Amino acid sequence: MNDNAIEIRGLVKTYFPFRLGALDLTVPRGAIYGLIGPNGAGKTTILDLIYGMGRNEEGEIRVLGFDHQRDAVALKRRTSYVSPELNFDVWGSVGRAIRFVRGFYPTWDDAYCKDLMKSFDLDAGARIAWLSFGARTKLSVLLALAHRPELLLLDEPTTGLDAVSKQQLFAELLRIVEDGERTVLISSHNLTDIERFADHVGMIRHGQLLLEGRMDEVVDRFRLAEFFTENNAEFANRDGFIVVKRNENRWQAVLDQERGVADWLQKSGAQNLSLTRMTLEDLFVALAREKEAV
Amino acid sequence: MTNDRKPFLLGPISPAAAGALYQQIVDRVKREVSEGRLKPGAALPSFRMLAEDLLVSLITVKRAYEELEREGIIFRRQGLGTFVAAQGHDRSREAKLSVAEELFREAAREAAEAGLKPAEILELATNIIKGK
Repeated sequence: MNDNAIEIRGLVKTYFPFRLGALDLTVPRGAIYGLIGPNGAGKTTILDLIYGMGRNEEGEIRVLGFDHQRDAVALKRRTSYVSPELNFDVWGSVGRAIRFVRGFYPTWDDAYCKDLMKSFDLDAGARIAWLSFGARTKLSVLLALAHRPELLLLDEPTTGLDAVSKQQLFAELLRIVEDGERTVLISSHNLTDIERFADHVGMIRHGQLLLEGRMDEVVDRFRLAEFFTENNAEFANRDGFIVVKRNENRWQAVLDQERGVADWLQKSGAQNLSLTRMTLEDLFVALAREKEAV
Repeated sequence: MTNDRKPFLLGPISPAAAGALYQQIVDRVKREVSEGRLKPGAALPSFRMLAEDLLVSLITVKRAYEELEREGIIFRRQGLGTFVAAQGHDRSREAKLSVAEELFREAAREAAEAGLKPAEILELATNIIKGK
């Protein structure tokens, strides 16, 4: 078996004027992979295509070793997709929705389903239409988890969840990847959470992958550089260097330590250079803004 | 979903706090050991359990344990688990001392840059220790 749960190569999909790709993305097996990006970056399009919804124009998506279109049934049996657009109202009650979805999956785990109902506080008799937004999200997660999928795709699953429910969900996700065989791909705007519990991260913008890698390595690679200049030196954005703020001769910039720009800065007249760690959120904001300016 | 295992009490860690997440775990464990709440021979949770407790990724906890093992504060026994090393207390204390020394050095430099003379810096330090 391949070590990657998802391999995307040269993927292209257009919803004019939006164009996704050409995109390469690699999600290692056993990882919690955080897919992040501004609104409209293409996150949902990627998740849809991985799950076989919509046709890509170019490129290849291999999921758990399967071709995402040729082996659609095998793939869907092993995969779950939690999307804010799913609507289970027509099934009436929670119990009926569970019985319906259960029928599709030979691997459905009744005991686990019961556990999840208890921990998510979902009652089999409850009418779905009357559930709160957060409770519907929990139902959607429950239906996705109970057949113990090898790959779980989650699109913004924490929207509408209170802090306690959110922690329950994260604990559940961490438990899912415990054996190193199951994989979670999650898109979210809550970067503090993503930084905490995702092992891998991919940042996309305007349909392009900006960054991808192990979370700790990605976060560790960048620093917030603070310095001042005396000789009216001007610094413009360049590869591995993005100006964040400037107040006359005082500067704040994001610095990619793999590009060796610290030496260049000092040679160009940056004084009292100090480098501090950044959170994923700071980094995201700086990178998202940068390309907009171009 | 059941939670019948004993929780491992460690201070809060957060991406917003200073230092990488794994480093925060390293520091918290060292504090537990140096302050005697974790005794030599005490078992640490598996990194999967700790990841769930702290809601952080497995990679983060693995890296923290590797670092603690490298510093001789904990050791791993295949199939048995992870434990606080006999010399863990001393090592943690040494580690804390060297951090304290570094912070003092930095404080002294800041104070000197603010124009304090050595005697004034000492007075400042004395006042802080006495809690004034």
